[in-house]
Amino acid sequence: MTETVLETDGLTKRFGKLTAVDDVSLSVADGEFRSVIGPNGAGKTTTFNLITGALSPSEGVVRFKGEDITNVAPHERVGRGLGRSFQITNVFGGLTVRENVRLAAQSVHSDEINPGEALFRDKNGFDEITEQTGTVLEQIGLRDRADEHAEALAYGDQRRLELGLVLATDPDLIMLDEPTAGMSSEETQATMNLIDDVLSDRSLMLIEHDIDLVMRVSDRITVLTRGEELASGTPEEIANNEDVRDAYLGGVRE
Amino acid sequence: MVAADFIEQLLNGLTLGMVYVLLAAGLSVIFGVMDVINFSHGELFALGAYFALSIIAPFGAGTGFWVAIVVAPVVVGLIGAAIERTTVRPLYGRDPLYHILLTFGLVLVINDAIRLIWGTQQRQLAVPEYLSQPISILGVRVSVYNYFMIVFAALLAVVTWYLLNRTKYGMIIRAGSQDREMVRNVGIDIDQYYTLVFGVGAALAAVAGIVLGGYQNVNTGMGNSVIIPAFVVVVLGGLGSFRGAVFGGLLVGIVQTLMRAYNGTVLATFGDTTLSVPNLEGLTVYLLMIAVLLVKPQGLFGTRGEESEGEGEILVGGYGGILADSTRVRLGGIAVVALALAPVAILFMGDQYYLVVLNEILIWAIFALSLDIVMGYAGLVPLGHTMFYGVGAYTAALVMLHYSQSVFVVLLGAILLCAILAWIVGSLSIRVSGVYFAMITLAFAELLYSAVFKFDFTGGSDGLLGFEAFIGLGSLGASLSNIEFGLLGYEIGQQFVFYYLALLIAVLSFLFARRMMNAPFGSVLQSIRESEERAEFIGYDVNRYKRRAFVISGGMAGLAGGLLAVSPSTVIISPDQTLNWIHSGEVIVIALFGGMGTLYGPMIGSGVFFGAEEFLSSYTDQWRLIIGTMFILFVLFVPRGIVSIPSLVAQRLETANNADGSVDMDEPEVRSDD
Repeated sequence: MTETVLETDGLTKRFGKLTAVDDVSLSVADGEFRSVIGPNGAGKTTTFNLITGALSPSEGVVRFKGEDITNVAPHERVGRGLGRSFQITNVFGGLTVRENVRLAAQSVHSDEINPGEALFRDKNGFDEITEQTGTVLEQIGLRDRADEHAEALAYGDQRRLELGLVLATDPDLIMLDEPTAGMSSEETQATMNLIDDVLSDRSLMLIEHDIDLVMRVSDRITVLTRGEELASGTPEEIANNEDVRDAYLGGVRE
Repeated sequence: MVAADFIEQLLNGLTLGMVYVLLAAGLSVIFGVMDVINFSHGELFALGAYFALSIIAPFGAGTGFWVAIVVAPVVVGLIGAAIERTTVRPLYGRDPLYHILLTFGLVLVINDAIRLIWGTQQRQLAVPEYLSQPISILGVRVSVYNYFMIVFAALLAVVTWYLLNRTKYGMIIRAGSQDREMVRNVGIDIDQYYTLVFGVGAALAAVAGIVLGGYQNVNTGMGNSVIIPAFVVVVLGGLGSFRGAVFGGLLVGIVQTLMRAYNGTVLATFGDTTLSVPNLEGLTVYLLMIAVLLVKPQGLFGTRGEESEGEGEILVGGYGGILADSTRVRLGGIAVVALALAPVAILFMGDQYYLVVLNEILIWAIFALSLDIVMGYAGLVPLGHTMFYGVGAYTAALVMLHYSQSVFVVLLGAILLCAILAWIVGSLSIRVSGVYFAMITLAFAELLYSAVFKFDFTGGSDGLLGFEAFIGLGSLGASLSNIEFGLLGYEIGQQFVFYYLALLIAVLSFLFARRMMNAPFGSVLQSIRESEERAEFIGYDVNRYKRRAFVISGGMAGLAGGLLAVSPSTVIISPDQTLNWIHSGEVIVIALFGGMGTLYGPMIGSGVFFGAEEFLSSYTDQWRLIIGTMFILFVLFVPRGIVSIPSLVAQRLETANNADGSVDMDEPEVRSDD
């Protein structure tokens, strides 16, 4: 039996009268590639925000690597190995690509830096952080552009940097919120290859609109509608599920 | 008679409250619709009263007052509209910080224009005789003018409410204050309405100025004295809410008046203990403001959620720089050497007054540097930074008076106390962001400003005097005033000694800050400025970093304040000299002037600001007008500050002369401390 890395139990989020996420209980196994799909307003991003801690749930529990993290602050969740990327590109535009990645790498090593060093030692003088930064820059293919400002990068490269930031925090589970949003089909392919290359040894949870893509890459798929979990299963199971076809894939019954 | 007395005070409170309502209505709607924090609102208010003075003069009080109350607001409204068109308009979409700066510049310009045209003397605004009679109703005796003010202002408030709620224009404006983007998306050009809103807001302020002018008097400080209470009103009621402005205005007017009237009155006695109204006049409204901001930042009637962040950003002077790092270090070195040699030149010239100016520049350079740490690096804009400067100065003076005169002990005390204060204020303030953070720090600063008037140990409004610093520790050293020795026939006095002390501390502070920004801690601050959310999701406890930055910044501002007390030019430490909100505005202006987010930029800004002040004031009394105009031009055209001028020039040269790549490196960074 494989270990469970993430588990939600009765996760519910209400905004006033609207129940955005309704009693969702998921379980993601270690090393699994899980995708979450659903029509707009199905509660995918809200579920993500509940898991990463950007929002706190009205009810329910989030467990990560066996520990209850429901009331743990977002930054602390990152420290425990839960990384996320953003739907809208969110990098440090005014800083260099290298500094972006270095900051993420520094975060993991924060505990080893004493207060005196934090205030006075040159930020580039920490070998482990520098080394990790170099590795990640290599992995995401931005080494040659490391000294440019992040905001000067092309859109596709910014998305790669976004992934690099997540990667540099060395997470066990990575939450990817539409990493290929707004990309051309070649860029999408390149990004999926990148995910495959550098993230495949970790557990992944992906929100994505592109059904074909999801069917191709996922181990398991969860379908949400109106905040509720409609079905979970392997891509074949989901493809053959009557409810899913009705509700989401728009299958026509005779 | 106690009841009648109380009702009389209530009426007085209501009268003042109605003035606040008129002031705050415009302020609040302007903020709601355009995100503009309009500091110049108080000066438009004063302008109304001054125009009324001039209009009443030829007509006489009887008809003149009524002509004035119609014509003056229209004139001020037109001026307001013109201000919006020419200066505010180009700034939409930028961080609200730039509106603060712009309108702060407008304060200087309008206030100085008033001084120029009408003089600085306090004037009496003539009102018709039948309005100034006292009248007694049911034993309550107040002036007819009180009733007039209440009724007239209430009428105007109702008309404004009607316009906002029952007309198409009003609907669009209200919709705009809820969600501007949405209004644009349904195809309405909301920008067109901005001029109208700004103009009407200015006209309402002018009316308030006229009625209050008739009630009290007309003076050049009247705008300054109402603007902060007006902000309190707006924040209490909820930024952008008209209903809130009405409620908040009346509340603040009544609370202020009653606290003044019943200050220290004994309410009841139980054996040995007496229950009396606490001596909190002036403090109450700020305590209220802080409480509201902490519990319900959007105010009591606010409809907007967290403000839209990230629409504009703070433009730092740092990048886009064309000078190589080594060039910069060399320039910094040259600047320090030049500053170290400056006293020699001054000795030859024989006018030691220049040393006094240089000393002030150095003190403010440290103050502006401390602001840059939170504003230019962590992206926090405090509107109350002078609280640390002031508390530092007071602490230093008190330490010298009561504990130790040693300059080391004195400065350390100032740093420590301000760091502790910053930790407390920071812990509370950092929970709210953006404009709310600016406002809550302003409230804390005003709270302290009012508090020093209250206590005996701070010397009340007179301030503290009779202290002197001792350069040294224990019995080793000498009192500053005793330092005087001859060198090559020249007399070396206390100004020289202090100058080198201040220069040393300024250079050390800069080196400390620069080191910190290149270390892990500072790098995280910069990431927070770029994207707070992202910083959080790569694992940083954003609030903790902000709080620490605030503590370091507060401590450093305290150091600057401490130096002010130590300075031989300082005889008295008074509330207005150190804790007046104007200084919080000035230090922001100086930082932007020089170039935020560069550390040395704000220090250069200090030099230019005080240098310009010295230079201009020796030629003209209207130097504030010129400096204010300079700010406005800077905010509009050089938002990255003086340090960005070399790259701006380089860009120009490049576009003008594409073939020749060489750029003239002789740029104007003369007075730098890095």
